[in-house]
Amino acid sequence: MIRLDAERSVSFCDGLRRRDFLHAGALGMLGLGLTDLFRLRASGAVDTTKERNCIFLMLVGGPSQLDLWDMKPNAPAEIRGPYRPIKTNVSGIEISEIFPRMAKQADKYALIRSCYHTAAAVHDTGHQMMQTGRLFQGGIEHPSVGSVLAKMRGPRGDAPPHVLLPRPIGATGGNMPHGHGAGFLGKQYDPFILNADPAQPNFKVPDMLPPDYISTIRTDRRRRLREMVDQSVQELEAGFKVSQDARLLDENFNQAYTLMSSAKMREAFDLTQEDDATKDRYGRNRFGMSCLMARRMIERGVRYVTINMFETVFNEITWDIHGSAPFSPIACYRDLVGPMFDMGYTALLEDLAQRGLLDDTLVVATGEFGRTPKINPAGGRDHWPQCWTMLMAGGGVKGGQVVGSSDEMGGAPKDRPVAPAEVAATICHSLGIAPDAELTGVQGRPIRVIEHGFNPINELF
Amino acid sequence: MRDRLKGLIIFMALLGLWLLPARPVSQVASANVEPLTLDTTRPASEVTTPVGGWSFRNHVIPVLTRLGCNSGACHGALAGKGGFKLTLRGYDPEADYNVMTRQTAGRRINLMEPTRSLLLLKPTMKIGHGGGERLTIGSLEYRVLSEWIAGGGTAPVEGDPRITALEVTPRQLTLATGATAQLHVIARYSDGHREDVTRWVKYSTANAAVAGVDDDGAIKVAGPGETAISLWYQSNVAFARITNPYPNNIPGEVFDRSPRHNYIDELVIARLRELRITPSAQAGDAEFIRRAYLDAAGTLPTVAEVDRFVADKSSGKRATLVDQLLNRSEFVDYWANRHADTLLVSSRLLRENAMWSFYNWIRESVRVNKPYDRMVREIVTANGNTLENGAANYYVLHKETTELTENFSMAFLGMSITCARCHNHPLEKWTQKQYYQMANLFTRIGMKNGQRDGDVQVYSNPFGEINHPRLGKPLPPAPLDGQPLAFDSTVDRRDHLANWLTSPANPYFARSYVNRVWKNFMGRGLVEAVDDMRATNPPSNEELLTALTKDFTEHGFDTRHLIRTIMNSAAYQRTGTPNSTNADDERYYSRYVLRRLPAEVLLDAVSQVTGVPTPFPNMAPGTRALQVPDAKNNPYFLNVFGKPPRLITVESERTAEPTVAQALHAINGETLNQKLRAPGGIVDSIVRHNIADAMALRHLYLAALAREPRPDELQRLLTALRESDDRRQAIEDVAWAILTSKEFMFNH
Repeated sequence: MIRLDAERSVSFCDGLRRRDFLHAGALGMLGLGLTDLFRLRASGAVDTTKERNCIFLMLVGGPSQLDLWDMKPNAPAEIRGPYRPIKTNVSGIEISEIFPRMAKQADKYALIRSCYHTAAAVHDTGHQMMQTGRLFQGGIEHPSVGSVLAKMRGPRGDAPPHVLLPRPIGATGGNMPHGHGAGFLGKQYDPFILNADPAQPNFKVPDMLPPDYISTIRTDRRRRLREMVDQSVQELEAGFKVSQDARLLDENFNQAYTLMSSAKMREAFDLTQEDDATKDRYGRNRFGMSCLMARRMIERGVRYVTINMFETVFNEITWDIHGSAPFSPIACYRDLVGPMFDMGYTALLEDLAQRGLLDDTLVVATGEFGRTPKINPAGGRDHWPQCWTMLMAGGGVKGGQVVGSSDEMGGAPKDRPVAPAEVAATICHSLGIAPDAELTGVQGRPIRVIEHGFNPINELF
Repeated sequence: MRDRLKGLIIFMALLGLWLLPARPVSQVASANVEPLTLDTTRPASEVTTPVGGWSFRNHVIPVLTRLGCNSGACHGALAGKGGFKLTLRGYDPEADYNVMTRQTAGRRINLMEPTRSLLLLKPTMKIGHGGGERLTIGSLEYRVLSEWIAGGGTAPVEGDPRITALEVTPRQLTLATGATAQLHVIARYSDGHREDVTRWVKYSTANAAVAGVDDDGAIKVAGPGETAISLWYQSNVAFARITNPYPNNIPGEVFDRSPRHNYIDELVIARLRELRITPSAQAGDAEFIRRAYLDAAGTLPTVAEVDRFVADKSSGKRATLVDQLLNRSEFVDYWANRHADTLLVSSRLLRENAMWSFYNWIRESVRVNKPYDRMVREIVTANGNTLENGAANYYVLHKETTELTENFSMAFLGMSITCARCHNHPLEKWTQKQYYQMANLFTRIGMKNGQRDGDVQVYSNPFGEINHPRLGKPLPPAPLDGQPLAFDSTVDRRDHLANWLTSPANPYFARSYVNRVWKNFMGRGLVEAVDDMRATNPPSNEELLTALTKDFTEHGFDTRHLIRTIMNSAAYQRTGTPNSTNADDERYYSRYVLRRLPAEVLLDAVSQVTGVPTPFPNMAPGTRALQVPDAKNNPYFLNVFGKPPRLITVESERTAEPTVAQALHAINGETLNQKLRAPGGIVDSIVRHNIADAMALRHLYLAALAREPRPDELQRLLTALRESDDRRQAIEDVAWAILTSKEFMFNH
């Protein structure tokens, strides 16, 4: 039986070898003409000498700065909370006792303890701002940094440039977009979304290969027949051309064929190739397995991986510790969420470092806001966009340092306040995208990748 | 020379037209209107203090809002900031007054030495302020705060005048790209006085690509199209419409000659003329029959039906076809499924028998064309055993009072009022009090288990209230902006709600339903999203939505009448092929907007063309996807193509957006591939009966695409078929290609 397999360069009845055919398709599937790419490179907007990657960990729910990475042990009990700080392997840096593994690797990451945003204190706005650098207003949706990278760099070989694991963020109360997509750049730059739980015991991406009764030759013939049927009616074609969904459908078919025929990409999704010890190290849960899969993606050419640690904040144990149902209690940090992050995050950093990938891969971990300094009557903490801590590692970032600080209650930045646009600028800087590079916005108007006046956090590098 | 002069005159006239409505309000205001008692647009030093001094409710709070003090990022945060906590955008002046005058040993307000009040020292940065400099000495806002303190810091009282209307001038502006204009906003108060509050209003644009607006109400036009600038002032809202016609040169006769079948067309054409967009041509018969079947009944026409319709030479055949469709059982299935989405029919929270009872009640309501007002009234006032009265299951699904209030608003008013549960709605006029007044209509619903498993008895209780959380007491029950009911009234609270809801005068109920039905056919709601019906989210064609709503209520809330009117319009019958002026238009109905078939419709279409039904759990063989009442245990195909899980009532639960997972399932998945090889299926029949290639192709095209293959298509596919030595596989592959083509997967 013949199987689709790019590495074995199968010949097809039309004379094209599989890989040739793939490469032609791969660029097309991203809607990126070669000239587009060359133009960007020529203009200096894309620094091709820096081919770095990024793994963006969206800590959905909003982790508490005070219980995790910016502890205030001398503050009154209703502020400092139930956990104690511990020393790390970098002198002078202390973090929460619920992160024993992170404490041993503080030399790998930097803590930014002065993040804030000024939009409404709901989850959705923070998701938008942290992933795109901007709040969505006036009906305009901005692209995530991952989708900007997809637009500017295009795919590396068969790999989709931007992948989202495991699922998009669902309802978090605001009924607004969460900012992982390509926004005004167009849906062709949206991330490839796994939409499955990689921690399921028999996990596999559905329908990655044809059933046994359909040979490679037939798959290829069907593809050509489909194109024949599709291109036949010109009046209709004009309508499909102006329909974003119709263009997307074609791109999805192309992307599906690329995935099917790339052994490399199939491998990227195949966690059975990892041994038990590795899986145990990452943690056999959605977040851990997503981190492991992210490493496999980066190894195989994906440029940007977004991981949503949770899909919602309702009826699920998350960072969103309001203390009362349907949200989470503060104890879940110690019992569940904290260890899950501690394992997945440190395994990822260690693994990337051991494979020599950490220098070229920026790992960002942030929530959408922090939590109220004062513990509420339900024993939890509520939304607090005024101040929180985020983490950056790899991708040129010097680990073992703290940038910015908060006041004695962890309620406001004391020095070096960091806005979402500065975080986005920092990611762009690491990836070699000029913050002032221009994208084509709504109705053809140029729009800067990063809003004017916001710069990368240079002391990180 | 004369021509050039003429051109210049026309140019000047047009320029005048653009500038005319943009003049400041003072120049156009008529003389017999009461003079303004406050004009915030004048220089601070020239503003006269109102007689009786500044009012806490009507001046101090707006100033704090304008300065951002009570925003969610500052002192309006749930926990306040720096120990100073205000209510979000001043929704509770009494509470704010207490915080400002009673806390911190009164240091916030210093009546002896007003300029030493923290309220003035901090935002001017005379002493450290975490929020930075917010207030300039000498500004109008500084004057209001300092003079209010100097005047003794008068408290808000119940008798303060309240805003009765916000008037924005101009309300409608036509401007070209690059043009600027200034809005003026006047607040009219319950005691008759008027204030120009332009400077203190909060502005936002619905579409920044058309026009933006700054904090002072200055507009700048960015590109062609239309946008609404919405204004929010003290929980009152209004909007101004900005139109920038597309730079197209279209002769008037294009619009004069454009076909008009009913009032819809008059109103759509008027809009297109205004925006300078040429409508696309009318669709052909084959195009029309496929579209009409799919949109109205979720099913494909059969080969015989297509043949008959195309061959029919009578002039009124489209209207006849529409009437026939409205009487088909597939029509009932389709619309029952739509209602089941909104009403969240699922065995997730209902027992299997109760789910069926709810679904059967819905389906029967659609079948007999129950007037929509009666159908919803039956839900709202439902009592009795849920296995007998299916409508009563609505209350089994929504047991919490607040959840009921919010679902009710989404399902029957097309709006979300969730924000108002905790504070006044930041974009809307709804206040927290209105929220809890409405919630109090749902507090007297009793439920107990019936005799049989799955049966619940719903009944009206004589007692029960919900407390307003801040006031700590219940408020008189009232539907949003409807009349309150006395606490001791013996009228059933749900009857009172239903009377308000289903009155033809209700400005939300019929309108939101009409908008949903319109979207089903036209691809885009007149208000988009259809469950975001806000005063600050105006429709793309107000006159049309008003006319449709009026027609609908005047015809006794008759859904079939509404659908018939829409489908018979020339606007519905246009092609999806764009012309040089309307490629960008998906808002004004100048062409049919192409869209992927909904999940259930697509699966049923695949089953119909292949002749192989899809099995569904617990359902009789041959059941169509649109006949399945449940949203649980969907086959993978339906999930991946976006059938809503029916967890919450929100339009975005259903998605028609293509994904890679869909493409993979179409290529490799078992759903389509098994149907193509199934014994007794269409491919099997073609091969076993030795149907000639050309005839087989003609059949597949008609069945799937409702048209004949054209000669060149036929030729190419015949050649491809002949290349294969395995006929069965070759037919399977061609059928696969047709059933995964855009032309098949889309309605057009």
